[in-house]
Amino acid sequence: MIPGRLTKELARICGRDAVIVDRDRLLVYESDALTAYRHRPGAVVLPRTTEEVRRTVQAVVRHGLPIVPRGAGTGLSGGAVALNGAVVIGTARMNRILAIDAPNRRAVLQPGVINAELSAAAAVYGLYYAPDPSSQTACTIGGNVAENSGGPHCLKYGVTSRYVTGLTVVLADGSVVKAGGQGREAPGYDLAGLFLGSEGCFGIATEIEVGLLPVPEGVRTLLGIFDRIEDAGRAVSDIISAGLLPAAMEIIDGPTIRAVEDSVFAAGYPTDAEAALVIEFDGLEAGLDHEAERATHFCLRAGAREVRSARDEEERLALWKGRKKAFGAMGRIAPDLLVQDATVPRTTLPAILKGISEIGKRYNLIVANVFHAGDGNLHPNILFDRRDRDELERVEHASKEIMQLCVDAGGTITGEHGVGLDKKHHMPLIYGPDELDTMWGIRRVFDPGAVMNPGKVLPEETEPLHANPGQDPASGELVGAPAPA
Amino acid sequence: MSAAADSLAHAVKEQEEGLLNCVHCGFCLPACPTYRRLGDEADSPRGRLHLMRAVVEGRLDPGSEAFQTHIGRCLGCRACEPVCPSGVEYGNLLELARHVGGEARRLSLLTRLLLRVFGTEWLARPAMFAGRAARATGIPALVTRLLAGSAPPRGPRLGLAMLAASGPMRGLRAAPAGSGSPRPGAAARATVGLLTGCVQAGLFSRVNEATARVLEANGYQIVPVDAQGCCGALHAHAGDLEAARAMARRNVEAFEAAGVDYLAMNASGCGAAMAEYGSLLSHDPAMRDRAAAIAGRVRDVSELLAACGPLRGSAVRMKATWDAPCHLVHAQRVSSPPQTVLDAVPELEVLPLAGATECCGGAGIYGLTHPHLGGWIGGDKVRSVVESGADILVTGNPGCMMQIGAGLRLAGSGVPVLHLVELLDESYRRAGLYHGESDHGNGSRP
Repeated sequence: MIPGRLTKELARICGRDAVIVDRDRLLVYESDALTAYRHRPGAVVLPRTTEEVRRTVQAVVRHGLPIVPRGAGTGLSGGAVALNGAVVIGTARMNRILAIDAPNRRAVLQPGVINAELSAAAAVYGLYYAPDPSSQTACTIGGNVAENSGGPHCLKYGVTSRYVTGLTVVLADGSVVKAGGQGREAPGYDLAGLFLGSEGCFGIATEIEVGLLPVPEGVRTLLGIFDRIEDAGRAVSDIISAGLLPAAMEIIDGPTIRAVEDSVFAAGYPTDAEAALVIEFDGLEAGLDHEAERATHFCLRAGAREVRSARDEEERLALWKGRKKAFGAMGRIAPDLLVQDATVPRTTLPAILKGISEIGKRYNLIVANVFHAGDGNLHPNILFDRRDRDELERVEHASKEIMQLCVDAGGTITGEHGVGLDKKHHMPLIYGPDELDTMWGIRRVFDPGAVMNPGKVLPEETEPLHANPGQDPASGELVGAPAPA
Repeated sequence: MSAAADSLAHAVKEQEEGLLNCVHCGFCLPACPTYRRLGDEADSPRGRLHLMRAVVEGRLDPGSEAFQTHIGRCLGCRACEPVCPSGVEYGNLLELARHVGGEARRLSLLTRLLLRVFGTEWLARPAMFAGRAARATGIPALVTRLLAGSAPPRGPRLGLAMLAASGPMRGLRAAPAGSGSPRPGAAARATVGLLTGCVQAGLFSRVNEATARVLEANGYQIVPVDAQGCCGALHAHAGDLEAARAMARRNVEAFEAAGVDYLAMNASGCGAAMAEYGSLLSHDPAMRDRAAAIAGRVRDVSELLAACGPLRGSAVRMKATWDAPCHLVHAQRVSSPPQTVLDAVPELEVLPLAGATECCGGAGIYGLTHPHLGGWIGGDKVRSVVESGADILVTGNPGCMMQIGAGLRLAGSGVPVLHLVELLDESYRRAGLYHGESDHGNGSRP
């Protein structure tokens, strides 16, 4: 609970219906899409403008409370979870597209705009917004900025940071900083670049300028069916080695195929296959068929049972829906899941996939893989039921081993989901003290008082002088089922 | 923990597996009309499921303000179901949550009163008669016209406007005396029992008559089912499951006795409820299988018409737009048959409607129980109808007809609202497809 005086002050700033302090209502904000971490916030505030955000931040900080920004709560690293009774600033009401400047292929929007709705609004001008996280029908651009989100088509088009050209940001001290904007190159230091992917630890973006792309002239979408997932991994590696540049290459493994085919988003993946590989080429019509033929050849050579081509847009969309809704469909297999996000060199994919499967077997856990194979960005989903304490423990061990396996192969701990709460303790696996010190230094420039999303990204114990002994050190642990009241 | 909470824990325990399917991905948030407007996750499907699960886990009292407010504020439009990758059966869980919430705290007086009237024949008949009598005086229409544009539609003004909007479109012919004649040369099709319903029978008898005529014209054989009653949908939505089950049993028996191939629905709210009789009565071993069998024969009238590639009528030179009722498109997943029916009306120009699959805010008795939010959602629908540029709005559920019709009238718009079968019926009448029609001699008669 927050002090009554602060509640009143926030209500004066944003309106009474924009401030949530009832403990029961706050339950729904206790986690993001990674429900293994649950902490109830002290309050939730839903401002509508930059000015309201600025005054909210000032008021909360004056009362000595920490702040957590939250978009649609679709994140998968516990980034929007409020530790230590922090106040959540939600952007759900900041959902207006402020301008679409079609001739300059630019849009300016509030952070709560939904990713897919920006593309839908730009479509009338023949434009779209390229980064396409699988949660794009629900996730917000503000959340994408915080996580520097990727998506299947980032293989060719790159992640969020490549498209964000300007930001208006509210910092912890209540200052409003404009970074970049009105085009590309901003003289001086690239503040927008620094802010991208800062996971709510540097401030809150309240206006975002993005670049848009023309909708490609042509597209070819292939579906390769494999009896062994390693073969699909080899096909991916071969296609990239041969110099082809697909827009996307995604692998969906057997358990995932069966969950998706059981759902309303059934894509027609054969349920007896052990891997489906979705490959897409886009761009100018000329040459697309040739590229598709070559990719088909590499799939067959790697052992594909067959390679199909989407005949029309409807079939193509079905293939993609199956892929993009796969995460949600996991609920058909088990009530809880922990999704990893490690990225490995593509050539190691076959060996890593085999290794993950062995770890799953050793701990007697179902591990379903659905991932951005072209980037080597794995998403092993460990499926479990948090009511089973023993299973929960096995999940933690298996998760750590999978992470270690990827790091040992020259990979990294997160490709696009962010570090958040879930992976902060893995940061020392890939960074030494010098790198971590530098990161802490930058973070404290933006947030000297340690009020912006504390307890995320960097493990507290690595902070020079360890300025925050008050943080809850246990917050990185999985939450089991609550004891009945 | 209250006794009610124990009862919920018990009742929801059986549904726990259903709740557990939700992995919290959040894909349902943008589909939810209340979340889109309020921005509070407690007013989203995921948030409501989280509250339900908290009750099951013993962390939340079902009598709490949070549970009552947010479960109560759901429209029950079920737009979250088709976008859910895990296939959470939200509608069922909502009814259960309301059932338990209702045990913890009584429903509002208004809600109880309305449910009582709909569910009790000797109360419904005089109430509907009074409604028709009031409508016939023209006073509701007059008051609605006088008050148009003054304030958002809610309260008694909305009630009057809804009554006015339940009347037939002016300029549309009064119902012809004859009945539909079968399609020339077509073999007799299936037998059909028509759910006459409570509100339809009371205020929309012309829609029931049109339904029978267009089905007969397409070769279906209408069998009267006298022992039927209210479908119980409104009771189930409000969480009064015992009343809903009693009504379901009565209807299962009535339609079984009639021995019809299909149950034809012209109110999608009723259709969705009857199509789920199997799960509503799943705890009743004597009725379970019989209810499921009857539920399997439920068809929206648009489905029956589309299935026979409906007979084309004569030209209706108008611009129409289609609003998809939630319980047709989301709950029953029926989306293309109404388009097929519209295509059977020559020279009808069908314009797109922005947000055609979003709830109109009518949601049973929501407009009356949640006037502010219902009015907000309804206002958005009215605006998009006006912006579509259509002369008429066509839909498939009496609640939506009254809600949108009332909103249009109060906004000062002259766009009338028609049921899909009323439009087809008019097209058939112009073609002279019915007995007893003598003008327009171009129809084919046996």
